[in-house]
Amino acid sequence: MANLKELRGRIKSVSSIAQITRAMEMVASMKLRKVQAKAQSFHPYTEEVRMMIERIAGKVQSEGDVPLFQSREVATVGILVVTSDRGLCGSYNTNLLLSLRDRIDELQAQGKQVKFWCYGRKGYTWLKRRGFEVERFFVEPPLDKADFSAAKMVGEELVEAFTSGKVDEVQLCYTRFQSMIKFVPTHLPFLPIRSIAIGAEAGEASQFELDFLVEPDPASVFNVLMPRYLEVVVFDSMLQALASEHASRRMAMKGATDAAGRMQKGLKKIYNRARQESITKELLDIVGGASAVS
Amino acid sequence: MAAELHLRIVTPDRTIVDRKVKSVTFDGIDGSYGVLPNHAPLMTGIRETGYAQITELDGKQLSLFVSDGFAQMQHNVLTLVCEAGEFAHEIDLNRVRAAEAKAREKLAGLDRLSAEFLRAEASLKKALAREALARRTSGSGSLT
Repeated sequence: MANLKELRGRIKSVSSIAQITRAMEMVASMKLRKVQAKAQSFHPYTEEVRMMIERIAGKVQSEGDVPLFQSREVATVGILVVTSDRGLCGSYNTNLLLSLRDRIDELQAQGKQVKFWCYGRKGYTWLKRRGFEVERFFVEPPLDKADFSAAKMVGEELVEAFTSGKVDEVQLCYTRFQSMIKFVPTHLPFLPIRSIAIGAEAGEASQFELDFLVEPDPASVFNVLMPRYLEVVVFDSMLQALASEHASRRMAMKGATDAAGRMQKGLKKIYNRARQESITKELLDIVGGASAVS
Repeated sequence: MAAELHLRIVTPDRTIVDRKVKSVTFDGIDGSYGVLPNHAPLMTGIRETGYAQITELDGKQLSLFVSDGFAQMQHNVLTLVCEAGEFAHEIDLNRVRAAEAKAREKLAGLDRLSAEFLRAEASLKKALAREALARRTSGSGSLT
């Protein structure tokens, strides 16, 4: 009989865990939708900034005018690690941090120093546990509530570290949201900027007409525009990471809910069998007793 | 030639305006710009605390606060890409006042040359510009 009671208890606890995971799944998919909406309304801005950059790139004469494009001997690499604040999101953080470890090993094998900036508690504790120094851990606002001004703050800090010579290269390490079920740990070269061609070659390749007025002059507009662009890149990576986190959590929680359902079914079967067994046994006892009396 | 100008105002949060208008005035880095249809291609910065004024096709005027951005004119489309932008009638005076007070408070305790001082000063300027705009239009969104 003790066995039956135990089984009842287990069934109960499994079903209440399923309730929790189901709720978490729903919350995650809601948040995912919110992030996607945010990303969508952010998209036109990205497009516009990118277009302006490409348009004006042909007007800028040489690398000397634009410090953010100058590459130099790399001794120190700065990495911005974007992870989640909380766990229970499947292999989301693990995957990213594993690929980060490979990257760190690779850089250290080349004799380079690595400095870290962190967004998200998981990455921070991971780095701390492995004895890495974290240059700055962004706590406020949490990634969930991060808006463009947060990205601006991060971007400014990274640009500052680059221009002051603290680091010679900056990379972003985040999870790219490829689809609802596919998230790719990504390392994105951030500074110096190589993805945009400048100067004469850009002018030739440009699909835009170059004949337009720039006030006050191309280089200064460009130098103000560039940080904006970098902020856009940072914000984009933050949104991608956030979308991946929620989608990943949703999947993990769905798996947990399904597993709990299966487990509950299995336990119920065992429970019913045990109950039936005990009833049969009692019946046999009664019948045996009755026949003994008569 | 079309006598209409297409205006797009884009911020990180949303696209505020995306329609045809008659003319636009905005604060550039080095002075105020007035843009009419068929303006020459142009690219410039927008002041940290700028404000723009739109004249609609029916002659109505609409003013809004824009900050920290860029303007480009191309193919009769004027695009203002800025970090913040809101119509005068959307400005919440109470919130702006709170921001102003906060910025002032911050400014008081800071070294004049520090980066934080500059940041606080910028947010104070923005708050003041918003307030001035909201007052001028007395919350109705149109200058009459």
